[in-house]
Amino acid sequence: MDMNEKPKVEEKVQEVPEVEAQQLPETKEGKLVAEILRKAPYAEGSVRRARRVEFKVPADRIKEFLELTSEKFEMLMQISVVDWIKEGEFELVYQLWSVSESVHAFVRTRVPRENAKLPTVMDIWPVAETYEREAHEFFGIIFEGNPRLGPFILEPREYEKHPLRKDFNTLAYAKTIYGEDFDRYDESKTNYVI
Amino acid sequence: MSEMKNDDFVNYELREFKLFEPLFRWARKKSLWIVAFCTGCGGIEMPPLATARYDFERFGIMPNPAPRMGDLFLITGYVTPKTLKRIIITYEMMQDPKYVLAHGSCPINGGVYWDSYNVVKQLDKYIPVDVAIAGCMPRAEAVMEGIMEIMRKIEDGTADGWKRYKENYEWYKKNQDELFGEGWREKDARRWLAWI
Repeated sequence: MDMNEKPKVEEKVQEVPEVEAQQLPETKEGKLVAEILRKAPYAEGSVRRARRVEFKVPADRIKEFLELTSEKFEMLMQISVVDWIKEGEFELVYQLWSVSESVHAFVRTRVPRENAKLPTVMDIWPVAETYEREAHEFFGIIFEGNPRLGPFILEPREYEKHPLRKDFNTLAYAKTIYGEDFDRYDESKTNYVI
Repeated sequence: MSEMKNDDFVNYELREFKLFEPLFRWARKKSLWIVAFCTGCGGIEMPPLATARYDFERFGIMPNPAPRMGDLFLITGYVTPKTLKRIIITYEMMQDPKYVLAHGSCPINGGVYWDSYNVVKQLDKYIPVDVAIAGCMPRAEAVMEGIMEIMRKIEDGTADGWKRYKENYEWYKKNQDELFGEGWREKDARRWLAWI
């Protein structure tokens, strides 16, 4: 046998498992998600862990979906916004709490960053008014049907810029507003003060 | 008697009581009333300072709900432009002599909020600060030390922020107007204080 001959490596043909729809577990969360998905086939749903479920919904049907879920999820806890600047999208996360089932749901939806518009959910949960005003103020998302959109917490000139957007340059803004005569701005770190 | 201007009256009053001034200073240092306007996170250091462990009332210091009766103004932590408007109005409402004690690094240079869009970097530009305590957060001992320093400065006569504010009012006003825009007192402050 030739010593230089390399031993043959059996090439394993790795079988790519077919992408299957995630099986929903046989728990109360799984049943809840399955029930909602049966009524709303346009949405994707999954169970993250005990008492935590997640839905992804296209933006044009979010109102319809939230109206549907509000039967089980009685409480809107928060509307938080994520700025995905590379994809040019805002992700809105509606955090719902089911009082009857003790389950926390994230309902995610994405809208384009330019002229982001969504229907208001004030008629489902009146508390949404405050969260929508906040999202509007910090990110510039327009919620159609909310009568009180406008300056809320921020100063007028901060409100124009929407300071929680990722392309808002905080340091440049702070320099122009508060003056540059301040050693923490010194990027050469000669007078650096912690 | 010659005609007196408004400023002269203050000077006259000060000159008149010069003899008793050491006595007054001693009395002022022994009865500091704090304006209960806890801005930012440092307010949480006030309960241990006021309660049994550090008990600042044994030094004649006590919290006081009304700015008209306060001597010592504590700026406890970061200051946002919105709060600063209220701070300036409250400071101007206080009677002379009045002293300002700034807690933590935020009023000095912004602290951890040094590049934040809504935290004022140097409080000293907008109202005079007599003593600033560095660090984040100053513990109740450090606040006590700051108050002791204020007391020493009152006795020396070097806690003169209220005089500096009068003398350099144009400069302070300029900085305030730069931050808030002209006419902020009429526009904003009048909404919560009708008599301004």
